[in-house]
Amino acid sequence: MNLQLMKILSRLLETEAGRDEDRKLPVLPWVRILLAVLTIFLCALSRNAVFTYGVLAVELLHLSLLTTGQVGRVMKRLALPVLFTALITLPAVFLGSPATCLTVTLKVTESVLVLLLMNEDLSWKEITGAFGALHFPDLFVLVLDQTVRFLVLLGRYSDEILEAVTLRMVGGLQERISKEDEGRRLSHHARQHNFGGILGTTFLRARRMSAASYEAMECRGFDGTYRTYRKRTFHWYDGAYLGIGAVLIILFAFCERAMGK
Amino acid sequence: MHIPENYLSPQTCAVMYAAAAPAWVISARRIRAELPKEKIPMMGVAAAFSFLGMMFNVPLPGGTTGHAVGGTLIAMLLGPYASCIAVSVALLLQALLFGDGGILSFGANCFNMAFVLPFAGYFFTTMIVKLLDKKQHSDWRQASLRCRLIGGAIGSYIGINAAAFCAAVEFGIQPMLFRDSAGNALYCPYGLNISIPAMMVGHLTIFGLAEVLFTVLIYAFVAKAAPDMSVAPAAEKKTKSNRAVQILLAVLIVATPIGLLAEGTAWGEWGTDEIAATGAGYTPAGMKGGFEWKALLPDYSFEGLPDAAGYILSAVIGVALLIIFFKLLSGLGKKAKTA
Repeated sequence: MNLQLMKILSRLLETEAGRDEDRKLPVLPWVRILLAVLTIFLCALSRNAVFTYGVLAVELLHLSLLTTGQVGRVMKRLALPVLFTALITLPAVFLGSPATCLTVTLKVTESVLVLLLMNEDLSWKEITGAFGALHFPDLFVLVLDQTVRFLVLLGRYSDEILEAVTLRMVGGLQERISKEDEGRRLSHHARQHNFGGILGTTFLRARRMSAASYEAMECRGFDGTYRTYRKRTFHWYDGAYLGIGAVLIILFAFCERAMGK
Repeated sequence: MHIPENYLSPQTCAVMYAAAAPAWVISARRIRAELPKEKIPMMGVAAAFSFLGMMFNVPLPGGTTGHAVGGTLIAMLLGPYASCIAVSVALLLQALLFGDGGILSFGANCFNMAFVLPFAGYFFTTMIVKLLDKKQHSDWRQASLRCRLIGGAIGSYIGINAAAFCAAVEFGIQPMLFRDSAGNALYCPYGLNISIPAMMVGHLTIFGLAEVLFTVLIYAFVAKAAPDMSVAPAAEKKTKSNRAVQILLAVLIVATPIGLLAEGTAWGEWGTDEIAATGAGYTPAGMKGGFEWKALLPDYSFEGLPDAAGYILSAVIGVALLIIFFKLLSGLGKKAKTA
């Protein structure tokens, strides 16, 4: 088994499998996505530290209300972009502009945190459905929807091929490999010699699967347009969420105006 | 009671770090061995209570201020070892992010507020509860709420005064041990004859009362609304008890600007530019050229934002970070156990 590949696949699936129906956010997905995009946009534009800190405080509060598993997942994924940003902007500190390093790192933290929290609240199906509700081009939604499905399917397929190739190589390489690191060297050699072949086979398989998938969808009446059949009505809490967006815009304008003085 | 930077000599700070280190190590080991993994996120909530308690400044006639710490409260809820770590993490967050308390003096602050206070408070709390408990339960937590509240009141009062006394001694020995050639103190300029009365008057009266009220009121609330926070393993699902604690935290966060009403600086927490005017007549040399840490959000304030709003924002950030930290710790602990 290629453990690293399985780890990647499990990461794609864990947010879906671990989702508790009771904890799902009742707000409409498109409202949630709209608010997330607005938050990131306003934070990127903000020249005022107060607004940035305010949004970060609210996002941290939101994160603190999640379960231990969710907090761990979010923080693990947040760590790399934040550390990377801090490292690449570190020269600014030595060049006499420490505020630049801090500001950029804070804004990256905020943007990534907003997206990660949105990812915890919404399933992938809801996200693609929300893009449809927001009138994104159907082709865009189709590509997004199919991408994740095929990531998982083709990931499993290529893992099976890799395992088969590794097993077939056992007899030929046995005399060259010591007993202690047999498994590791076999897998490494299999990857080195057969990487191109595995990729090529996976590509051909992907082509056949996508064609078959589209034929099946056409047989079921798919004409290229994405329709949402389980429609939910707009509730008061959806309006409240949009109200938060309005408050954000007002706060942003207030902070920018205060800074302009 | 937060000892700022450069009030204690580097040598004193090193000694205090050495004194606090065994407390941290032993507490961490005992928590790993005794505290259920489900309770570790509760340490975050408890640390948040302590953090918020330390933001409520209480005025004392004469112009000084003080605050509750909540160490005995956490010890009553989760044990003294959990209290040591929870208060230490809260103090670390205050020192790094808000500049409340020094980095070099962090060891001394933890020794006083995270070790002496909770352990002394817990010891006297359990002793009083056992004395008052007519049914003589084997576990003091099974005694009546009235016994526990009386024990907690007395224990927390003794705990905070023990901590204040330790801080007063740490301040007071500086002029004796560290002087320049002219005989002026290099660090805190006030000897034991001044530091002990100055610290103890406030803590024996108003600040001690603040600690008692903080401990008793919050313990009573948690015992009634969220009894599983201390007794049974806390579940992660949003039960009513979790919700009650969250609401209490939210109320405390919103109420933190009350701490701004108290004017004046706590004794021993003056800035370098203020100390000469307090009666010393000079600024000690060790303070002028000493270590300085530039906190991100000094004094819980944001430039351009009204103080009250800055206080609330700081409280939100502090509480959120503490809860997140202990949830992450709980997750790491679970992984280590299954590995």
